[in-house]
Amino acid sequence: MTANVLNMVALAGGDICSVATAEVRRNLAITSPPLAIGMFVASLALGAVVGGLFGYIASYPALRLKEDYLAITLIFIGEIGRIIARNEEGIACGLVGLTGVPNPFIWLGDPNLSLIAYTIMAIIIAVFIFIFLQKLSNSPFGRLLKSVRDDETAAMSLGKNVARARGWAMIVGSAIAAIAGVLKVFYAQGVFADDYIPLTTFVVLSMVILGGMANNRGVILGALIITLLDFLIAPSFFRLMGITIQFDITYIKYIITGLIIVLVLLFKPQGILPEKPTETPGLILAKKEDKLLSNKSSRKTK
Amino acid sequence: MAIDLTLPLLNSLALGSLYTLMALGLTITFSVTRIPNFAHAELVTVGGYVTAVLVNFMALPPHIALLAAFTASAILALSMDELVFKPLYKRGSRPLFLLVASIGVGLIVRYILFSLADATGNITIQTNVSVNPIMRFGRAYITTFHAIVIPATIAIVIALHILFHYTLMGKALRAISDNEDLARVSGIRIYRLRRVAWLIAGGVAGLAGGLWSISLIIDPNFGWDTLLRIFASSILGGLTSFWGTIIGGYIVGFAENIGIALLNTWFGINTAYRPLISFAIIVAVFLIRPRGFAGIDVRNIVSRLVVSRPRS
Repeated sequence: MTANVLNMVALAGGDICSVATAEVRRNLAITSPPLAIGMFVASLALGAVVGGLFGYIASYPALRLKEDYLAITLIFIGEIGRIIARNEEGIACGLVGLTGVPNPFIWLGDPNLSLIAYTIMAIIIAVFIFIFLQKLSNSPFGRLLKSVRDDETAAMSLGKNVARARGWAMIVGSAIAAIAGVLKVFYAQGVFADDYIPLTTFVVLSMVILGGMANNRGVILGALIITLLDFLIAPSFFRLMGITIQFDITYIKYIITGLIIVLVLLFKPQGILPEKPTETPGLILAKKEDKLLSNKSSRKTK
Repeated sequence: MAIDLTLPLLNSLALGSLYTLMALGLTITFSVTRIPNFAHAELVTVGGYVTAVLVNFMALPPHIALLAAFTASAILALSMDELVFKPLYKRGSRPLFLLVASIGVGLIVRYILFSLADATGNITIQTNVSVNPIMRFGRAYITTFHAIVIPATIAIVIALHILFHYTLMGKALRAISDNEDLARVSGIRIYRLRRVAWLIAGGVAGLAGGLWSISLIIDPNFGWDTLLRIFASSILGGLTSFWGTIIGGYIVGFAENIGIALLNTWFGINTAYRPLISFAIIVAVFLIRPRGFAGIDVRNIVSRLVVSRPRS
């Protein structure tokens, strides 16, 4: 997906997770396999739909405005979403949160086994979404999004509806973020509104910026690096190195997140993996002709 | 139903003044540099902490501490620009990337502050200045806090107004905010004025944070928590209008305090939903009039109201 979309997705990610996860709260104490998996699939679908809708509604006020206005709205709606989820008993059980969301593979008996099964399934879902996004970014719709990202005015002058394109980008992106939210809830087996503070969004944002905003592989790389860093900034690791710190170690994580955002933007704005031109049929044809031409000319010079 | 609104009224006056001060800095930096600066929150927090630390641990008088807060935040703002925003701007980054960079800067400053505060055991802090009641007003008291904050805001607003409208520098700043290329062509040194804008914005934000820390407890997250109100005020002024921002600051102050008091007594809405009012303001402005109060020709309206035209 394009940078524009990913930015928005990242910004909206935090709050959409919290809404999506709310859908999961009814699934308690399930032991029969079809019911467990059915519940899980239903939550995924419901989460995606609700997340997509929420993303559209959240972005609606600023869809027609400049992109930085949209970003402002989305960042603040993340905060608002959390406040509502925190105070409203019905969504994620308020401040107390919700625990005991069962693993969909709980019927396997062994908790380790069901965890492994769950991880494998999460990876499979991620791969599917990755393939879907790759296809999407090469489709006419993906190119439309790219054109909106690169030059709104030009896209508009070609008769493209910029607001609608952005709205769709928000829906698709939010739905995917919501799926991630559902996956996380079933993994953590609980929901707390305060887990989904805008900081989560910014950590995701740093992944996207680090890996390369305008391509899906970059995002995966970024996510891997940040997750690895997360492991390194653990108290046990510091103790291993013989460093004692007087304050909460999570602060270091967020300082590093901020540093990554700033330094990458300053020194390598393209990220680790820069964007490549889209492989449209036209481009492939042009490349072939280019090769033919260069072959011909080289022959001539010989 | 009769509700006692004296306390929310006083609160909204004081908080509205503080929101105004905070939002003015945001408006100044946005109109000169086009950055929706999310690190503005941290300028406010740093100002609050500098004031509190100087007064509590160094036993300095509050006005000197406030001056130090002004300086500290101004320098922080300037270094943010010199280190991050100016290089990005010179490369021609889009506003969205400048916004993202400002989020990164904000994270760095906020969590360094968190680490320092946690290491010294001062996660929450409040400036030790005795706040005494001066006068009774309904069920509430007008305190020294109100007597400091409201006149200070008025003084700063007047000073900034004079700076922007009666000095050559202010004229140049306004020229940059209207049309940067034209200002540059006319021989205005935009980078020098950029520095001035950041110094003023940071300083005023620090001052507002310092004043806030006198009456209320602050923590390193306090700037971020207030940022929604700051943005709402500034957006009401179209992010560029000076007087629009001032009106916006007071509208946000009144809407939040009186609004939530009314909603609470009439509909029983939880007061924790207070930030929703600011957000509703942002949404309403974006939907109805994205320019906010900017571009309203006040003189025209006034002259139309005052001068009655002969009917033909």
